[in-house]
Amino acid sequence: MAALCRLTVQASKAIFFPQSSRNVSLSAVSRLKEIREKKEGNTLIISGEFVKPKDEHLQIKNNTTACPLCATGLDVKHTDVLILSQFLRSDGCMLPRRITNLCKVQQKRVSVMVAMAQKAGLMPNLNPPSSKKDPKRRYGYKKYNTYFDEATIQWKL
Amino acid sequence: MSIIQRSQQWGTFARIWHLYDAKWQDPYLSAERIKMYLMGLYKPIYHPLNDCGDHVVVINSYDIALRGDEWRRRAYFHHTGYHGGASWTMAWEVHKKNPTMIMNKAVYKSMKGNLQRRYSMQRLHIFKDENVPENIMQNISNQIKQLRPVPLRLDEIPPQEVAEFPKLVKYPENYIAQ
Ligand SMILES: [Zn+2]
Repeated sequence: MAALCRLTVQASKAIFFPQSSRNVSLSAVSRLKEIREKKEGNTLIISGEFVKPKDEHLQIKNNTTACPLCATGLDVKHTDVLILSQFLRSDGCMLPRRITNLCKVQQKRVSVMVAMAQKAGLMPNLNPPSSKKDPKRRYGYKKYNTYFDEATIQWKL
Repeated sequence: MSIIQRSQQWGTFARIWHLYDAKWQDPYLSAERIKMYLMGLYKPIYHPLNDCGDHVVVINSYDIALRGDEWRRRAYFHHTGYHGGASWTMAWEVHKKNPTMIMNKAVYKSMKGNLQRRYSMQRLHIFKDENVPENIMQNISNQIKQLRPVPLRLDEIPPQEVAEFPKLVKYPENYIAQ
């Protein structure tokens, strides 16, 4: 009975409050594909075309075969949230290696450093929706400030 | 004696008040630095029998940062003196009860246990936040450098700056960003 009730409530919600199931991202829209409509006489041509991303001038050029982190030779720490956040989805999950193009060691190192930054509460906006957004409201020992030493990471360069 | 030499004389023998902001600092590493000022070890006139220690005012002791999992691994021991009176308290529980105690104990432990230690500790003033009484704040004439920079939180960096930061990852053409 309860299941039936829930189903009817959900169905009526879906009818009266149509919500798209897309994930909402707070970052700026940067479309890679765009729908373009062209009218030639009586025919309407709708085409999906690739567009150049807006932040292409910010892309770091990599002319070597090394991965982007090795090529730049950066000494990344767990407090460098502007670098670490590039390897994350909006819910704080690490992107796979086929997207990040990192080598195996760097992928492991970055994922450990992301865990460090999350434990230190430095990226509270990149978290699952159910998380407490303010690190000071976390439970028990987790609410106090913590820092980490990168020398303790198992995977060395 | 010229005026410059006289003021140099005053500066050497005066008790200087130092300020230390403990925000995101390791208390056990900071203690080694605070100790230098409390005992006057940095002064050329230092001698163990020479009472030349300075005052140190530590603020924001609630926001100290411990390394790794030390908040739940480091235990503080206490014994009441009775049988079965031993107790071990985790660092985060101590900090919850008294946000100045870990800093206080760290500095106390960093100094050698002699008769001067109690007097040096009396010159240490720890506050859990930035609310320091005005009569103490008036004395301060120097700030001790922090050991590590205070880390920036991603949600506190302006969105403009985040958007204009150089990009390392190049998404594939048909990748759907989430
Ligand atoms: Zn690499």
